[in-house]
Amino acid sequence: MAVFPSVQWFDAVRGVFNADESYQGGGGGACNALMGLKIAGQSFLVTFEGAECSAAVKVQDNDLAAADYILEMSYADWKEMIQNIATNGHADLHHTLNTLDLGRPEGLSHSMHGDQYREDLFFRYNQTMQYFFDASARVATEFME
Amino acid sequence: MTDKTDDKSPPQPPPPQTAPPQTAPPQPAPPNLKWMGKTHQWGTRVKPGKHGLRLGDLNVGIYGEVPPVWTDQTRAPRGAVSRRGVPPLGYAIRDKVDLWADSAADMYEEAIQRRWAPAVDVPWSTVKPLPDDVERSICQVCTELSQYANADVESVTYWQSQMAYGYHEIKQFLATVSFDGARHMEVFRKRALCNGGGLGLEGPGEVNRMILESRGGWTEAVLYLFIVRGLFTQTMYRYLHRYAHNDAERTIFAHCLEDKARHLTYAIDHLRYAVNHQDDQNLILQQLCFIGERVLVRELKDVVLREALTIVFGNGISGAEQGGRIFRRMMSDYITRYLATLKWLGVERRTLFPEELSAYLKAS
Repeated sequence: MAVFPSVQWFDAVRGVFNADESYQGGGGGACNALMGLKIAGQSFLVTFEGAECSAAVKVQDNDLAAADYILEMSYADWKEMIQNIATNGHADLHHTLNTLDLGRPEGLSHSMHGDQYREDLFFRYNQTMQYFFDASARVATEFME
Repeated sequence: MTDKTDDKSPPQPPPPQTAPPQTAPPQPAPPNLKWMGKTHQWGTRVKPGKHGLRLGDLNVGIYGEVPPVWTDQTRAPRGAVSRRGVPPLGYAIRDKVDLWADSAADMYEEAIQRRWAPAVDVPWSTVKPLPDDVERSICQVCTELSQYANADVESVTYWQSQMAYGYHEIKQFLATVSFDGARHMEVFRKRALCNGGGLGLEGPGEVNRMILESRGGWTEAVLYLFIVRGLFTQTMYRYLHRYAHNDAERTIFAHCLEDKARHLTYAIDHLRYAVNHQDDQNLILQQLCFIGERVLVRELKDVVLREALTIVFGNGISGAEQGGRIFRRMMSDYITRYLATLKWLGVERRTLFPEELSAYLKAS
């Protein structure tokens, strides 16, 4: 049982994601991006290189400046998304990254640099990022109290 | 007329063989092989990296030298020895500043690796009968989106043929863009024809015409095709994904969104390169925005697409009020992103921005 969020949890999701070849076909595939995450006061950087998610590390807040884009929302919203994915095997239409980004005035995705080229990676690899979080359906998850 | 099956006449002898000439057969010329020495750089050994042997990896030595102007008027590949006396082809776009984007080689690889096939990658069996007003609306949206995709193909292929071969990464990437356009035409047509509906009314096509008749250069076309129109289309894909009625539509718009984002990446990369390497390019783009935005406003006055999207988002005419709110939010998101993109490119849009567009920002 891995606690969300933690490096252990991201590593478990990476394991499922990297082992499932179905994520690489039909519009998936090569993806090169550094995704930042802010969850419950903790910061993480997740690296996608080619066909795999190669690393997940916990970092200081200011290290997120290196991220191409940062996903940030309240812990309650993160928890609801992960639980929804676990229930359905994947996010339903109310809990996709795209929906969550559209549904909040400040968006789900933002950056610290305003670089439109790098921010566009959130859309360029949107389905791959969705596959990544959908892979968490196969990870036994424990939530922080 | 004689029927061949009733022909009883004896077979005729074959015509006499002509005697072969008595002269000796021509001897092949001794090999020349002088061409074997014709190279500017021999001994190149590019090795595949962690992600395979990619197009950009080949840019080593002289093969990676991308000059600011490509003076050769033939189809000589970059780094090859030009053949003397080849008639010029008259490429119109020979300045790097008019087409270049550093990301093109990588995105060419990405477009190929992330390809998808509507025939098999869309779960068509999830499309079930929808209320008549919703089906008519989604079909209308698909009709107009397939026109947008057709404009992508026609515009890109028109300009691509005028680009000097020396900038081959750009031509190769744009080949994937036109293929993406063809794929989008295909998938929207399929969606319109797979559920008891059909194609609807042709769109007004004012922006399409502006894109296709743009003759000021490829940079101008990039602004209109990928920024003015492309960002609008991409935002629409995001909302159509959000309000999809089945997994097929969800898959379609998720993949189209990614394809469109790749086009936008090229556009941002190229326009930034052009602004940074050409005096007053940002002012030129600003002037072009004045024109493009007004054409867009004129097209948006046509109610058909707006009403169809409103019904799709509201899940029926009865939900039009809710659908209208979502439509206005979509427009606000589009304009916000459009202005942020231009600002990042160094193109100022505080003045003469159409009231019809800024009204969406105020309302949100």
